[in-house]
Amino acid sequence: MSNKQDAAPSGGLTRRELLGSSAALLIGASAPGAAQALTFRDTPEWKPLANVAVEPVDENAGWQFFTEEEAATVEAIVERLIPADALSMSGKEAGCTVFIDRQLAGAYGDSERLYMHGPFQEGTPEQGDQSPLTPQQRYRIGLSALDDHCRNEHGAAFAELADEQRDQVLTQLEENEIALGDIDSQVFFEIVLQNTMEGFFADPLYGGNRDMVSWKMLGFPGARYDYRDYVERHNEDLGLEPVSIGGRPDWQAQG
Amino acid sequence: MKTLTGFALALLPLSAWAASTEFQDIERGRYISVLGDCAACHTVDDDQPLAGGVPLETPFGTLIAPNITPDAATGLGRWNFEDFKAAMTEGVGRGGYHLYPAMPYPSYTLMEERDIRDLWAYLQTVTPVENDVDANQLPFPFSVRQVMLGWNLLNFDGRRFEPDPEQSDEINRGAYLVESLGHCGTCHTPRNFMGGEGGDKFSGASIEGWYAPNITPNRHVGIGNWSEEELVEYLQTGGNRYAFASGPMADEVHHSSQHWTEDDLYAVARYLLSGAGVDAADWDREPPEPLAEDNAQVRAGSHIYFDRCSGCHTPNGGGEPGIFPQLASNALLNSANTDSLIRVVLAGSRPVATDAKPTAPAMPAFAWNLSDDDVANVLTFVRNSWGNAAPAVSASEVADMRETLESE
Repeated sequence: MSNKQDAAPSGGLTRRELLGSSAALLIGASAPGAAQALTFRDTPEWKPLANVAVEPVDENAGWQFFTEEEAATVEAIVERLIPADALSMSGKEAGCTVFIDRQLAGAYGDSERLYMHGPFQEGTPEQGDQSPLTPQQRYRIGLSALDDHCRNEHGAAFAELADEQRDQVLTQLEENEIALGDIDSQVFFEIVLQNTMEGFFADPLYGGNRDMVSWKMLGFPGARYDYRDYVERHNEDLGLEPVSIGGRPDWQAQG
Repeated sequence: MKTLTGFALALLPLSAWAASTEFQDIERGRYISVLGDCAACHTVDDDQPLAGGVPLETPFGTLIAPNITPDAATGLGRWNFEDFKAAMTEGVGRGGYHLYPAMPYPSYTLMEERDIRDLWAYLQTVTPVENDVDANQLPFPFSVRQVMLGWNLLNFDGRRFEPDPEQSDEINRGAYLVESLGHCGTCHTPRNFMGGEGGDKFSGASIEGWYAPNITPNRHVGIGNWSEEELVEYLQTGGNRYAFASGPMADEVHHSSQHWTEDDLYAVARYLLSGAGVDAADWDREPPEPLAEDNAQVRAGSHIYFDRCSGCHTPNGGGEPGIFPQLASNALLNSANTDSLIRVVLAGSRPVATDAKPTAPAMPAFAWNLSDDDVANVLTFVRNSWGNAAPAVSASEVADMRETLESE
């Protein structure tokens, strides 16, 4: 980028960058092992026992991505983002940290299914997240920087702060009032908030939403298929117990 | 095949066609081969019809159906009609060796002479394929074909078909098709310890990890609830409102009964539903009482059914015609043998696709989602709801089938 002639109008690609990336695409397309479309003929194949099931998360398997210290910080965050109240247990009790840990240990954590090569540009808001950091990197960098900040400003790690202090720090992150060094504090806050909500509302199979607590709170009936018998019934309690992909307590034979 | 023959027929001048009894005999023989479902065992590759090679798992070991094309070295090329007739009616091959009754000669022995002759005429016209099949894969002592001498003495009577003068021609035609060419009892009649047809006729039997259900007129465990139209629909299109042909029956419908004439199918339906071929004392029994609604398995199963099954089979077990079988008052659910029920819930099923209904519906697998207890409980629920009544299913039965399926 030192060559002045290559300088492009701000935000755009240089001609050389464009040509370079097109050439890379062409090579990629002709290289052996490049992605190929699946072709189906006649009826699709059917095999007994076939399914696309995910293994249910084993919540007792220990942290898969977080260190003990990181996990404690995330527990302290999700406990304040979704505090226990009259409506439900807290995000911590509901297993949001387990959910986030398992997601970070999987394909989501290292952006396995996203295009993660340059050029990295700031982009417009409509273009969405343009950060080169994978979720794993965002948590690792962000959690460490957050604790550094808390030790400097408040004399203790985030997890050791009182509820009010934690709320205050989280508000500052959200408002971009704290600098976290290598990661934008708002970017960090947003990913944690989003993953916490996902953990609270996703199927319990994935480690959060313990006992379908959020579904019970909302009256969401869960993983069901057909509502023809209910579609005409309005403004009444349908008495539908939520059901997870893994079932619900009534499935067990009693007595 | 069907279309080709029709096309060939259309090309023949009328006079030539009328004179060509040979052609008619051969065409008749082709239809006999469809009625007898020779292809089920003797055709592996549709491009090489009747060249043999289908392995048959029997309780005694594996047999491989031989090549019955006219190839001289590896097929029936050196056989004459008398050799063929002996094989069909006595279970004895050219040169005097004994066939195993996996070849249903105990049924084919009932065949009329003309049918055997026309079938033989047709087999001469099949393209010869060189395919050397080593049929006998049985372990000792079953591998010694002479053991069949004693077996035949005890299990084989070699009688010909006798029409019943008390019955209509149609019922007699149905009897001939069911007992002889259709060899329905080969799967649907229980077998004795020697593998001969032993228990109550057509009362249902285990076959290749499936259950060939009871086809007596019993309304509770048989097909007595089916109308003639429903039975014909099943055999012709692969399914009706109660069931879709799956497992070995899917092969039967695919190769054979979907190609039967409607007259023949109605003859079969009338014969089976009339009970003319079975002794009423063997099938006319009172149904049991269903298990109570507050039975722990039934109650747990009702919740699983509501959450996992009712989306397709509907909350009251009514199903959807043409796609989701109705479970209410469905005799297939009431059989003592639960092999097919457990298998279909665990592994799912893709029933047969037919010319009439080319899109086979499918049931998804639930092995990944339902525990052995869950499957036992949901089946116990459907077996005791909406007019059904049958003993509870145990988790250990489900565990056994799970093991079988995983090893298949």
